[in-house]
Amino acid sequence: MKNSSQKTIRKAVEGDRLAFRELVLENSHAMFNLAWRMTCDEAAAEDIVQEAFIKAWRSIGDFRMEASFRSWLHRITVNTAMDYLRKRSKRQKLEVDEPQWERVSQASEPARTDVQIDIRTQTQAALMKLSEMERAALMLRHFEGHSIDEIANTLNLSANACKQTVFRAVKKMRIELQPLVAT
Amino acid sequence: MKKITDDDLTLLYYGEHDDPSLAARVAGSDELSARFEALGEELSRMEALAPPERGDDYGAEVWRRISPRLAEARQSSGWGWFTGLRTPRFSLAGAFSIALVFAVAFFLGREGALTGPAPTGAGNTQDLVLNDLDPGQLLATSVSRHLEKLNVTFTQFANSSELSDGMADRAMDMLLANRLYRQAAESRGDKQLATFLGELEPLLIELAHEAYKNSPATQNRMQQELKDSLLFRIRVMNKQLNDSQIST
Repeated sequence: MKNSSQKTIRKAVEGDRLAFRELVLENSHAMFNLAWRMTCDEAAAEDIVQEAFIKAWRSIGDFRMEASFRSWLHRITVNTAMDYLRKRSKRQKLEVDEPQWERVSQASEPARTDVQIDIRTQTQAALMKLSEMERAALMLRHFEGHSIDEIANTLNLSANACKQTVFRAVKKMRIELQPLVAT
Repeated sequence: MKKITDDDLTLLYYGEHDDPSLAARVAGSDELSARFEALGEELSRMEALAPPERGDDYGAEVWRRISPRLAEARQSSGWGWFTGLRTPRFSLAGAFSIALVFAVAFFLGREGALTGPAPTGAGNTQDLVLNDLDPGQLLATSVSRHLEKLNVTFTQFANSSELSDGMADRAMDMLLANRLYRQAAESRGDKQLATFLGELEPLLIELAHEAYKNSPATQNRMQQELKDSLLFRIRVMNKQLNDSQIST
């Protein structure tokens, strides 16, 4: 995610649509990546990005300039993704169906080899076994490079609880990913 | 000496451990180095989670999709600026031209679509007239005329301190026309034109809803945006469309 200029952020906070548009152009890709890693679902990730920006615009007047805009956007994206996952989980309890990520993983990557698809599918499967909070914490730490303190703030956890969440996520992922190391 | 756990190694891996001597201890021990290496290898498997790529214009696409919802979102959150935004304005004079634009856009969209059943019933009369036309050329001609109108209205707005009452109505007509042309361009796969038309919408929305009224700062910003680049880009795009018509 690019570091949007303070001037642009300030203008957006003051209600400037064009400045907000600039923020959308700058941050959409990174928000999509985060939303996709949270859901492993391409269409859902696109919806989450749009929804997150609408929420951001609605509450941008409350943004404090001394805070990190990137973390603020991540928090909105993660919360929107979690809402989506909860709704999906409720739906899936009512349906006897394979999880959404399995269908997506096979359909959206035609250029990859069978081994790569297998690793990717298994990694996705491992990730989807984590709780929403563990997944969010791990994604923010591993892919977005947030510090434990930033993640704690994003997920509304204490620093210690956040650390334990990351540890749990790492342990679970290692168990699942160990067999793939030799591949 | 305190036993080094996997949690310590995880913190070290992510650069979060607060004991500066830990890295040296790990490096100095074969057993710890092996454990740290295993952790790194296993976590590196997560790199397989590369998200599907989005195109360069993904941000613009997101903006296009959300921008019509932003005004509503802001109002429902209690922000007072943009009062009266919900009531759409239509001028009677523009109604006929919008209907015509809609017919053209419908035809262009239908022609551009690769699959799908042909419409039946009332649309057939229109088809008889339009089927002989080249849809690409029709789109270029129609959008070119649309851009000429935009150029006149925007130039007037950019250079006036006092604005006529009819400006908002005209802008609303042009906004609706702009959306239809954008959809037609998208249906025909003309990404460049669709993106360009999408970029005009934020300003048209503000103009149509008189965002500049009682806000000299907003008016200045809108005028500056037009003078800085938008007017120039409209003229360049119009020229490109005219050139493409000459060359076909």
